[in-house]
Amino acid sequence: MKKTKTYLHNPGYLKIDLMLCGIRLNENAVKSLGIDLSTGYTGITGGLDIILPYKTWVNAPFLEDFAKNSPYELIQKDGKAFIKREGESVKVKIIPKPDFYKLKTTTGIPLSKIGNMHGSYVAITPDTRCEFFNMNIECRYCAGNFNSKGGVVYSVEEVLETVEAAYKEGKAEIVYLSIGFSETPDGGIEFLKPYIKAIKKHFNTIVAVEALPPKENKFIDETYAVGADSVLYNMEIFDEKLFKEICPGRDELIGRNRYINALKYAAKVFPNGTVASNLIVGLEPAESTMRGIDFLTDLGVVPILPIYRPVSSVKLLSYKIPSLDEIAPVYKHLYHAVKKNRINMNWVRDISVITTPIEAMFFTGDMSRFKTMMHKFYKSKLGLKTVWGLSTLRRKLRVREVGEG
Amino acid sequence: MKVIIDRRPIWVIVLVRSLRPIFFLALGFIFWYLINIPTPSGLTIQGQRALALFVVCLILWVTDALPLAITSLMAIVMVPLLGVMDKKAAYALFGNEAVFFILGAFILSAAVMHSGLASRIAVLIMDRFGNTPKGLLASIFLLAAVLSFFMSEHAVAAMLFPIVLEIAKGLNLKPGKSNYAKSLFLALAWGCVIGGVATFLGGARVPLAAGMLKEATGITIGFFEYTMVVFPTVVILLFIGYIGLTRFFPQDIQDIHLAKDVFARKIKGLGKMGYTEYAVGILMLITISSWLLFSRMAGIANIAIIAVVALFVLKLVRWKDIEEYVNWGIILMYGGAITLGAAMEKSGAAAWLANTVIGDWANSPVLVIAVFSLLTILLTEGMSNAAVIAILLPVSIGMAGRFNLDPQIITYAIAIPAGLAFCFPMSTPANAIAVSSGYITARDMAKAGIVMMITAWIVFNIMAKVYWPILGIKI
Repeated sequence: MKKTKTYLHNPGYLKIDLMLCGIRLNENAVKSLGIDLSTGYTGITGGLDIILPYKTWVNAPFLEDFAKNSPYELIQKDGKAFIKREGESVKVKIIPKPDFYKLKTTTGIPLSKIGNMHGSYVAITPDTRCEFFNMNIECRYCAGNFNSKGGVVYSVEEVLETVEAAYKEGKAEIVYLSIGFSETPDGGIEFLKPYIKAIKKHFNTIVAVEALPPKENKFIDETYAVGADSVLYNMEIFDEKLFKEICPGRDELIGRNRYINALKYAAKVFPNGTVASNLIVGLEPAESTMRGIDFLTDLGVVPILPIYRPVSSVKLLSYKIPSLDEIAPVYKHLYHAVKKNRINMNWVRDISVITTPIEAMFFTGDMSRFKTMMHKFYKSKLGLKTVWGLSTLRRKLRVREVGEG
Repeated sequence: MKVIIDRRPIWVIVLVRSLRPIFFLALGFIFWYLINIPTPSGLTIQGQRALALFVVCLILWVTDALPLAITSLMAIVMVPLLGVMDKKAAYALFGNEAVFFILGAFILSAAVMHSGLASRIAVLIMDRFGNTPKGLLASIFLLAAVLSFFMSEHAVAAMLFPIVLEIAKGLNLKPGKSNYAKSLFLALAWGCVIGGVATFLGGARVPLAAGMLKEATGITIGFFEYTMVVFPTVVILLFIGYIGLTRFFPQDIQDIHLAKDVFARKIKGLGKMGYTEYAVGILMLITISSWLLFSRMAGIANIAIIAVVALFVLKLVRWKDIEEYVNWGIILMYGGAITLGAAMEKSGAAAWLANTVIGDWANSPVLVIAVFSLLTILLTEGMSNAAVIAILLPVSIGMAGRFNLDPQIITYAIAIPAGLAFCFPMSTPANAIAVSSGYITARDMAKAGIVMMITAWIVFNIMAKVYWPILGIKI
């Protein structure tokens, strides 16, 4: 009973437990909350976006089989939404799928295929191909949006239309661009450049880029110079042996050391707290993930800890989903490591599909930071505008273009 | 374009970036202050304003905070705005003969380069005389000098550089280590520098000085007349320069047969001499002869422009070929410098400044020449030689009157040393080109260059005292 209370009333625990167990929805709740089941609620990030207390975003699966046995239920009372567990409930806010999902580009492509909302992020993968699949060395957990055979390339104009629609609707605050592996030395940044430039030209927004570590550091300089405010080179697995097994493509064609060196270099180029790397929780022992957290934070890199949740299309079905009790110490460790290395935690914010370092604070039991003026300011629209302005100014000051001679 | 991320602490970057606006604010304040202080006795209000503008331009030229041409354009605009000169008169100065001579010289030089004639002459001479290490060194040195008599020294350096580089590579000389390589590249630079002062054609600074002199005093200097004055100095400097090259960088190579292979390849690549090369060569000979014989009568600019017209009548070049060789910035710069110089002179500011600054202690014509030539040769090591002329000539012409000194003499004392920049890569493009090879360091250049600079100043002053009177130029 005590644990239930802890989970339900602590947004950090609740977020992860909801991601692991899912949530039950009855038909009445679906109707009264205006949830349109036709707009893509399945898949790894297709659950229901819910805002928990302290503006904590979570993406909770509800259509998958495992969600039918979830201890959590979404109920509706007087037009308000609550999450209920064992007689206790907590007030939440349901975020319906954006209206722009129903729109199409002028070329006829549904915008929902191009951009996906994850909290305040509109995530876009302009080129959905990943060469690892062609060579059968794709990451073994991957069930995401990358595929070599069915891959498509969206034009700059199509991407711009999607971003514009997301911003018009007031849903997006940050654009997140990602790309799969291609055999170029630049890690995909040359391909993404025109997209970043166009987005920066038309919108006063922050752009985060998830790419592969380029072969030379000059491409990291260019990533920053072209307008990326944040960069992610995802190691995914810290343990050397498991990295080889689970991410054979990354190991063979990029190398673990290159990940480390690229992250180290990027942390010196980008602002504090804007260089990040995923470490998937559940694919390696918790101790190994914690070693990875220490290693990355020592470099000035923000570790981001998504939880492994297998779906039928992946090759690593045998891995079991870790329990919340196994995960909680890892997140607690994350918060302390980030704080110890004085890494700015405010950049990675409001994502529904992962737990951010600042949300990891919930696991320490200390929620004082969430009540400070500074935190509230960062979370506000004005705070975001300020961050954008400072980021733009920093780039203006730091970037110099010189002739090749 | 290459991207560089400045990773210094952000406060350092902000401070550095703030320097530019602070600099321009300070400059604005200096200008405002000089305009508004009570006019000193002996100076007119127009003179005070011209002087304020001169100080601003001087700072901008020395610091390179704005491109030289833009500072000059600003000067042209400000002269009438400050009421120093009438608007029409100020802009008319841009139509000075010197400006059009420079334009013509640029175009002729471009035609010689574009036709391939310059490269052919260079390679053939090096092949003919470069049979020993010393012979090759001497031929590069003298070739650079002689070509700079007839073409812009910058163009000569740029043209010969790839050939010398290929020779150094062909001989397997070690960059930064081989003494012979250092002497080859320094020979290229010094040859251009020394040869560049021999005629009006080596650099645009001499026509600029002549133009400023004409605007200020009405006195003209002819092409032949100037060459007669300077030529013995050039010959002596070439001799000393060669001795210096072999002493500073003792020869560490005996066999240069590999260089011969380079020449053979180049000559083969050039093919046989074509119509354009013959025609450009003949036209250049006629033009130079006309400058030597008829410049006083026909005017150097007229001869230059007629030769340019002939180039196009004979279809020896196309406008497109010419455009990339003409340094339009320098032409604008010179127009502005002449305007500012005339404003200083006509408003009396130049004479007032000369008397005030060095009038009390420069008490003989010889000392005036020694001081101005020293100032010039020192300044030209650190800044554009044209800017040095623009700064010093108006003041020095002002001084000439005080000692009954022929302004022509003081013009020589500025125009000739202004070209003699031996020490640093930033002193002149020829030096920069040599250092860019990687075979000679800026330190090597400075070590030898300082000795050469002092020698050049001494030689110049001895020649002024001993040789000029033979020509009837009495100090």
